[in-house]
Formats: sequence, C-alpha cells, structure tokens
Amino acid sequence: MTITSFWFLVLISLGAGVYYLLPKAWQWVELLLLSLIFYYYAAESWTILYLAVSTLTVYGAALAICRLRGTQKQRLCLWVLLLAITVNLVVWFVVKGKGLWGFFAAKLYDSTGLAAAQSLLGLELLAALGMGYYTLQLLGYLIDCYWENVEPQKNPLKLFLFAVYFPQLTTGPISRYAQLECLFEKHKLQYRNLAFGAQRILWGFFKKIVLAERVGILVAAIQQNPQSYTGFYSWIALFMYPLQMYADFSGCMDIVLGVSELFDIHLTENFKNPFFSRTSQEFWQRWHITLGAWAKDYVLYPLLKSKRMVRFGKFTKKKFGRKTGKFLVNAAAMFVLWMVMGIWHGGLRYIVGVSLWYWIILMLGELLSPWFVKLTAALHMKTDSFSWHLFQSVRTYLIYAIGASFFSLGISRSLALLKDAWNVLWVEGSANPWIFFDQSILQLGVTYGDLNLILLAVLLLVIVACLREKYTYARIWIEQQSFLFRWMIWIALFLLVLVYGKYGPGYSAAEFIYQGF
Amino acid sequence: MTRAQVYQRLNQVFREILDDDSIELKDETVADDVDGWDSFEHINLVVGVEEEFGFKIPMGKVVTMKNVGEMVDLILELGK
Repeated sequence: MTITSFWFLVLISLGAGVYYLLPKAWQWVELLLLSLIFYYYAAESWTILYLAVSTLTVYGAALAICRLRGTQKQRLCLWVLLLAITVNLVVWFVVKGKGLWGFFAAKLYDSTGLAAAQSLLGLELLAALGMGYYTLQLLGYLIDCYWENVEPQKNPLKLFLFAVYFPQLTTGPISRYAQLECLFEKHKLQYRNLAFGAQRILWGFFKKIVLAERVGILVAAIQQNPQSYTGFYSWIALFMYPLQMYADFSGCMDIVLGVSELFDIHLTENFKNPFFSRTSQEFWQRWHITLGAWAKDYVLYPLLKSKRMVRFGKFTKKKFGRKTGKFLVNAAAMFVLWMVMGIWHGGLRYIVGVSLWYWIILMLGELLSPWFVKLTAALHMKTDSFSWHLFQSVRTYLIYAIGASFFSLGISRSLALLKDAWNVLWVEGSANPWIFFDQSILQLGVTYGDLNLILLAVLLLVIVACLREKYTYARIWIEQQSFLFRWMIWIALFLLVLVYGKYGPGYSAAEFIYQGF
Repeated sequence: MTRAQVYQRLNQVFREILDDDSIELKDETVADDVDGWDSFEHINLVVGVEEEFGFKIPMGKVVTMKNVGEMVDLILELGK
C-alpha cells in the first residue's frame, strides 16, 4: 500500500470517520492501529521489529536519564544517552548505510581478496519503512529529554505511536516530540480540518501523479540513454530533474500533511517555496526544512558550543584575525553538518552530490559575498528589483540542479551529463536547438498533451507559490473567495487529477524519490 | 541584577560580537530583526553571554529560546 493508492484513501476515510466517533481518550489507540495496518500493507511486516527495538531502547534510556538526574549517579546520564544513540545509529548504519560501508567493503575485497568482505557485500538487509525518519525523531526526543526540554513518555505504546505514526512514515517530515504530543490529546471534529486536509491531499496528488510522473518520463528517458540523447537533451534532464524532485517530494508532503490534518494533527512544513530562494543558504532553509532544522539543533549547535570548538574559535581569531577566524570555525562546523546530512542519505553519491557540493558552494558564497556586494554597488545594480531576484533564483536553481544530478545519477554519470551540457555552449556541432521545434521531444515517451499539461502544472505551481508567499497558504486565499468560485477551483483540480493523473490498472505510480530514506 | 542592567550588558555583548554599535535589544527582538544574527552567531552570542555573566546556559535552552526577552529571563533566573 502506498499513500497514493486507492486502498490508502479508503483506509484514511474510514479511519477519520471512526476517529471522531470513538471516545476521545481512545483516539490515539486508533491512530496506533491505523499505523500498524498501514505498516502491514506498506512494508515487510516483520521489519516493524526495528521500530520496536529503537522505541524500547530510547524509551528505557529516557526514563533512566530521568531517574538518574539529581542523584549521586547523575554522571551516568550522559553515558546512557550516548549508549542509546550509538545503538540506534549502529542499527541504522548497518541496515541503511550499505551505500557507504559497501563502498569500503568493495575496496577491501579488491585490494585483499578477503572472504569476509565478499560475504559482507552479499548481505542484503531489509530496512524498516521510514527508518531514516523515525530514527532521527526518536534520537531528537531522547536528546530533548536529556536537555530537560520534554518530560519522558511513561507509556511505551505512546512513544511507539510517535515513531510509527503512519502519515509520516513514507517521507517524513521529521517531527519533534513536543510538536507531536498532540497525538495523545483529545480531538474534536472540525469541518475546516477535514476540508483543508482533503484539499491538500488533492493538491499533493496533482503534483505527484499529474506533474512528477510526466516529468519523470522525460527525465528517465534522457538519463537512461545518454548516448542517444545529447546536446540540449542534457539541459532538459538537468533542469527538469529538480522540478520532478520538487513535485514528487513536496507533493508527497502535501498528501502526508493533508492526511494528518484530517485527524487534527498538524505536522511541520517541510517546504516553503524553495525555488524563490535568492541564495543556496536560503534554499536549504526552505527545502527539506525539518532535516536541516534537526541537524542544526542536535548536531550544529552542540558542536559549536562544545569546549573544543569554542577553544578552536578563540585560537583561529587570535591567529588569523576576527573575520578569517570566524570563517574557519563556520567552515569546520558546516563540513561536519553537511557530512551528517550526506551520511543520513546513505551513500557516496549523496555525500558528494548533497554534502560536498553544497559545502563548497556555501563556503564560496560566504567568501565571495562581500565582493559581490561591492561589485553590485559599484555597477549601481538594483538588487531589490524583480529582475535581480529572478537572476538570483535561477542561479540558485542551477546550483541545485547540478547537486541533484549527482544525487540522481551518481558521480560518473552525472559528470558525463554535465560535460555534455557544457559542450552545448562551447563545442561546435554539439548544440541541437531544433529538438524544441521538431517532434524530437516526443520520442522521449510523452505526447504534446503531456507537454502542455506540464506547462499548465508549472504555471499553477507558480501561482500557488505566489499566493503562499502572501497568504501563508493558497487555501486561505481560496477560502476567502465566493462559494461558486472556490468550488470551481477544487472541482477543476479534482477533474485534472481524475482525468490526467497517471494511475489505474496497468499503471503503477513510481515510488516517491525520498521514500528510500 | 535588574532587567535594565541585564539589557545594558547584553547590548554590549551583542554590539561587540556582531560588530554593530546601533543594536538596541528589546524583549520581542528575534534573530531576524538583527543583521548578522544567524545560526553561527547565535552560538557566539550564547558563549559571549556566558562569559559576560559567568554561568553556563544549558544546551536545551539554547535551542528553545524564542526571543531576547526569554534570554533575559533566563539570565535573571541563572544569576539568582
């Protein structure tokens, strides 16, 4: 069962109906039951044991820390915390990190021929659904308990629900315990939750099965046949993949947040118009927000505030001056932060594509931004104008597109694609602009209708993004319109999804790109 | 220590670390209101406050403080 399947819609419809009919004290039990049903049909059911083990270790550690605090054995709190974190990270790394440890095992086997390395490579471990997401959630909860920001949960089943809560198992968001304590509260039926939830689910379906699936056909055709599709095709793949990724990932988040809203549980937003960002730094404050925020609170801040880092900061400031000293501390901390994010994604391509690439870009940005400020001032450029904002956003998009191609293709295939795209600009005979005007693009597996739908969908995405900038949510603006107009909008969107969505017998929507983590 | 005294010393710490003499903090001031107060400077400010007032700010508070007012409340509480 996936969250775009018919049976999932049946499950949540029935589930929401029962939810508001049940005695309110039992609502969280129903959510737990729904989560178990979803897990049973969405994943290999025994893998839920991973979740149970993680929950139990974190549950026990949190209670132990609470009991030890204020006693003579208080010093043990830190050891309990570190032990529980290590156990969970080791389990996660062994199961999900084959992209990383597999690389080193392969190197070891190549150089030594060690039989153990070969058997390691043959190891196929089945991961739990949403392992990357719930592991971070549980560790965040445990650290919050250690920091005394939340009270430990006494009921292990409630903590289990926090980890297994079904809407967010597919692709997050990575919620904090304090935000999700509302899972255990009593919820009243409110029309607005049902209406907003359903609307958001519909919009998510539109992004995923109308837009992302179509763009995915274009991108996959080019990526899988790089010899046949060269020149401007490489540019199409380069520029369309971020669009596919956004429609896919944020579409999934819309469905997830919408489903949760039906149950009066309001999850944290994971996207905030990322393609409106002026800089790469801003981009990462608007894209996969909950992962960045998690890494900031639980990795970056403790690292920067650690005695060694403070001492290192003082040393660099004394040795190299205030500005360079600060830059060196930032660069070191950012390197660790981005490595953590890369390792979380679980493979070498992510470390290079997501981490190293962005670390270099952000550090270059920090180094060069004072020069850019001087340059734009000297040239009397209007940096608050729309055209300048557009230039900055396109630049940020291109930087993301390059990183995303590493993410999608791996290092060598991505470099080949980038080289081909580069050749279009500089190597004579490489450019093939006629593909935009003859019927070449139709060989990629899409029709004229599909291309028009992609254009229409992108236009709608831009309109919704503009409304979101102004009204927080486009739904709030729509809510203010007349009865007839707002129903026309929702019926039109529903019909678009119904008629043009890629679904039905014989068609299986691709998995969400971020589902694998 | 009165609230006004805390503000006086806090303004000095912020001005020195962020290199901006025009900073005037208020209870409702948040990071977005002050140029240069980003994630990195946030920790530099916390360390600066710790050195100025002579006590450690718990890590849990570092990630949950919402505005300067909460920082001042914390300083007054820890300084008791």
